[in-house]
Amino acid sequence: MWPVSATEKPIVELENANYSTHISQQFNEELEKIRTQMLTMGGIVERQVSDAVEALLTGDVELAEQSRRIDQQTNAMELMIDEQCTTTIARRQPAASDLRLIVSISRAVADLERIGDEATRICKMAIELADSGVNQRGFQEVRHIGNLVRDMVKDILTAFARNDLEMAYRVAKQDKNVDQEYRTAMRSLVTYMMEDARAISNVLNVIWVLRSLERIGDHARNLSEHLIYQVSGTDVRHQSLKQMKQTVQEESEGSLQDEGNEE
Amino acid sequence: MTSEAKTHAIDIASMQRGESNLNLADEEITLQVKDLRLSYGDKEALHGINMDIPKNRVTAFIGPSGCGKSTLLRCFNRMNDLVDSCSITGQLLLDGDNIYDRTVNVADLRRRVGMVFQKPNPFPKSIYENVAYGLRIQGINKKRVIDETVEWALRSAALWDEVKDRLHESALGMSGGQQQRLVIARTVAVKPEVLLLDEPASALDPISTLKIEELIHELKNDFTIVIVTHNMQQAARVSDYTAFMYMGDLIEFGATDTLFTKPEKKQTEDYITGRYG
Repeated sequence: MWPVSATEKPIVELENANYSTHISQQFNEELEKIRTQMLTMGGIVERQVSDAVEALLTGDVELAEQSRRIDQQTNAMELMIDEQCTTTIARRQPAASDLRLIVSISRAVADLERIGDEATRICKMAIELADSGVNQRGFQEVRHIGNLVRDMVKDILTAFARNDLEMAYRVAKQDKNVDQEYRTAMRSLVTYMMEDARAISNVLNVIWVLRSLERIGDHARNLSEHLIYQVSGTDVRHQSLKQMKQTVQEESEGSLQDEGNEE
Repeated sequence: MTSEAKTHAIDIASMQRGESNLNLADEEITLQVKDLRLSYGDKEALHGINMDIPKNRVTAFIGPSGCGKSTLLRCFNRMNDLVDSCSITGQLLLDGDNIYDRTVNVADLRRRVGMVFQKPNPFPKSIYENVAYGLRIQGINKKRVIDETVEWALRSAALWDEVKDRLHESALGMSGGQQQRLVIARTVAVKPEVLLLDEPASALDPISTLKIEELIHELKNDFTIVIVTHNMQQAARVSDYTAFMYMGDLIEFGATDTLFTKPEKKQTEDYITGRYG
């Protein structure tokens, strides 16, 4: 269908065979296909994020260019998956969990595509910053936050594949840490710019990168909200972590292992 | 919602669909079913149904064939009395009075609780006489009253404009969809409180079906409507509340919006998503 290499399979095997129990075998296949394609797209986007950070930190212009080109694929996949969702709604009039699955995937691909856009933005910065060497001020923060959000994207895709709400909740919670780290990094970079005005141009570029990473974290949190809606039927968008935790607990009958506080 | 919900002069509360927050607990109840059991011979078909049908709302019964939804509907105007082997225990209260009480006049009950069947069954008379029939057997003879009521009933059934120039032609010359609306007009002409619809659109084409559905929406202002349908999308479109029945039990009963997006019971979920089999 789209130009994807064989290595970019969904990260984990699909669990939960609930989608394969319709009387209509065709409907099973349609839902399964949409789900698999969304996870495939997720795999590509995850790779975009790690390649972008890698390209920036190692000054690898070629990797950055390559990653930018992949973004066209994710854009095309978003359109295609979304169209399949629309077609399925029109043809099958799905209800209850099937409807929620489709709505959730349709929202999820939009967030995945935005993550891809942010990764592309980081690649552009990587190309601009390539000449300034690999010991650029702020790269340590980029490495740290980059690792955090890359794991978030990976974990939320695993959660989607397994319908794992507890994992989704942990991703949403991790977003708070990312925001915290982002603010800290911002403070130190602002201080640095005040000390050395000649560095402002380069440091601004690093700030854009951090901003993109922080946005990727936000999109990962959105993805976990979509999964929670898909599985539980409760819309947890624009709610506090505490309310989200409560929903997940109700769904998993109180087995949520979570020791930290959520504020 | 309070005025806090207003942002830039847009009233957010008013943007919600008017009926999206229906709650059975807030409704005025027309029909109350209390531990209703019904058997055909030794075979029990309804195993103790308890439910409250709200006034001026559309309540839909869905479920697989043989689940008892039509049987339950027919209890509401004692149509099952016509079946010899049928026995009933429990109570069915219409505005608080048990309709299975000995003193109840069944003909009067059926005037208060009208019924429309799957296939349109107009009498082989003129359009006008079909609608006037119920009034005449009630002893109403004044031509002016009958004329007015016939027009009102035909307008209520969204049929007046189509038939006003041929009121005295035979009803059998109408299309299936028109016949079904005529039957509805005949039923509402005697001003019942409850309108029972048993698969009212299953023999009709899609356009006639939509007209009937539109009509149901109009009629709920004046009547309490209970509809049995095999078409789940139809139930989702027309009803305020939906009851899912299975094997003679009421499995789930609640607001249609909730039942079709987030059903509580797994059996309901399986049925509405097409996994029942």
